[in-house]
Amino acid sequence: MKPTRSLFWLLPLAALALPLFINPYHQYVINLILVYVLVGVGFNIVVGNLGQLAFSNVAFFGIGAYASAIFTTQLGIPWWLTIIPAGLAGALAGCAASIPALRGVRLFYLAIMTLAFGELMRWTYIRTPFLTGGSMGLTVPPAELFGWVLETETQKFYVFLVIVVVIVVAVGRILESRIGRAFLAIKNDERAAAAMAIPTGRYFLLAFALSGFVVGVGGAMYAALVGHLSPEAFDLVQLILHFAIIMVGGLGSLVGSIFGAILITATPELFRDWPGFEELMFGIVIVLVILFLPRGLASLLARLHPVFKDRYLRDD
Amino acid sequence: MALLEVSGASVQFGGLTAVSEVSFHAEPGEVRAIIGPNGAGKTTLFKAIAGEEQLSGGTIQFRDEPIHTLTPHEISARGVRRTFQNGGLFGELTALENILAGLHTRIPSSFGGLLVGTKSARDAEKAGTRRARELLELMGIPHVADQWARDLSGGQQRMVEIVRALATDPPLLLLDEPAVGLAPPVRSELLKIIRRLVEEENIAVILIEHAIEFVMTVCDTLMVLNNGELIAEGPPEEVRRNREVLEAYLGR
Repeated sequence: MKPTRSLFWLLPLAALALPLFINPYHQYVINLILVYVLVGVGFNIVVGNLGQLAFSNVAFFGIGAYASAIFTTQLGIPWWLTIIPAGLAGALAGCAASIPALRGVRLFYLAIMTLAFGELMRWTYIRTPFLTGGSMGLTVPPAELFGWVLETETQKFYVFLVIVVVIVVAVGRILESRIGRAFLAIKNDERAAAAMAIPTGRYFLLAFALSGFVVGVGGAMYAALVGHLSPEAFDLVQLILHFAIIMVGGLGSLVGSIFGAILITATPELFRDWPGFEELMFGIVIVLVILFLPRGLASLLARLHPVFKDRYLRDD
Repeated sequence: MALLEVSGASVQFGGLTAVSEVSFHAEPGEVRAIIGPNGAGKTTLFKAIAGEEQLSGGTIQFRDEPIHTLTPHEISARGVRRTFQNGGLFGELTALENILAGLHTRIPSSFGGLLVGTKSARDAEKAGTRRARELLELMGIPHVADQWARDLSGGQQRMVEIVRALATDPPLLLLDEPAVGLAPPVRSELLKIIRRLVEEENIAVILIEHAIEFVMTVCDTLMVLNNGELIAEGPPEEVRRNREVLEAYLGR
């Protein structure tokens, strides 16, 4: 089972050649996909693996994006040095978002409390104009890497690709270890997990922090990609996008998060030339996938080739 | 010193006393069975020992350390492992991964080590997997290793759950209705396993059970709970003749 996993490396390798074949706009879309891969991978840790209905993901995303943007604009730190701080800001937000869950809030109650966290953050971006530019938004200078300015989409692409590969590999290792098993144990039966000497509270905190870190880094990439942050980018529509990525991709599946990000980000762009059609197609794709592939794209891919099979995905 | 010392333990739910001043102790190499009518407080007593219910009075000591103030995972880490009445397997994990979850505290891979994929972290995971396979083999169910726990038969699930509880060689095992719903041959297999564990590994087992023939053959000491009170305790044959027990439990 393991050795075939090395085939996954073909994916980023093939992607390396991608900029040779496409125009800058499509390159932008692909960069956006890379951002949403991290968004999906991070979100799936809490929802798919830990099994909690926690919708604080947009807060992590926005906090990561604003942290990176504020560090660059206010403190003059080059973008590449803000990636890890943005991740840590996201992780800190993750710790904060785990408080209701740690106090025993579950299911719909947790959903509404974490939703409120996301909305509270959006309110905060608007009400702190000295930091965030308020509702006018915050313009970010071009991203800089070791003094090298990332001007073109192609340059950003290569940098993003490295970040995404490193993080996806690291998260994959965590999820396939005793830590990942502890998350799934909690999802399946919290009481039994505790009876296996798994400190459930600590793993709640870890899952939320890890999720926040990954999504926060995605936020830093988003800031570099779009160059301008405004509070309305981090609204409930953004959350629906995140949720669609993991539902369409496959809950609890790392492979699913990646392919969900590709499909959900690319679909509206493919139909961009037909106004009004993009939202319609977006809706149709979601309905079709949920209807015919309730376990997401990951289950389709697993049927095509065993290499895509996540260990947590059942054949059905 | 006893392995487990329960002294005057009470559990209250609002005005209802579910367990009332129960005292007993469990020793290594002994199977203790708890019987009693529905609502007698058997499972509540189990939960209290495992830390899932708070005591309203009394103490519980394990190896001379009070454990009734600890959380369930802390108690489990000290060597008190349990199974669940309705099955506590993790359905989305394979049988093997369930055992690995049981071995959680015995796999010394750190977050940082796993993140960068150090050799010691990978070796720890591999050693855990080897141990889990050995355990399944030892119990005669190596073939279920890679099946999803929720797809296993009732008997297999019970066995895997017991293997999982035993994975860390706990000195005390709590079994909540281990024989219920099992076919007679599986039941006698289970009985043999429990007796072997107690006699060869010298662990202590406390079990709750309704199947009276199973209880009579498996246990060394029988305890009867009624309305939260311990009304009889002793060798099974003796308890069986106790008048109070006959009235309360067997209804004769």
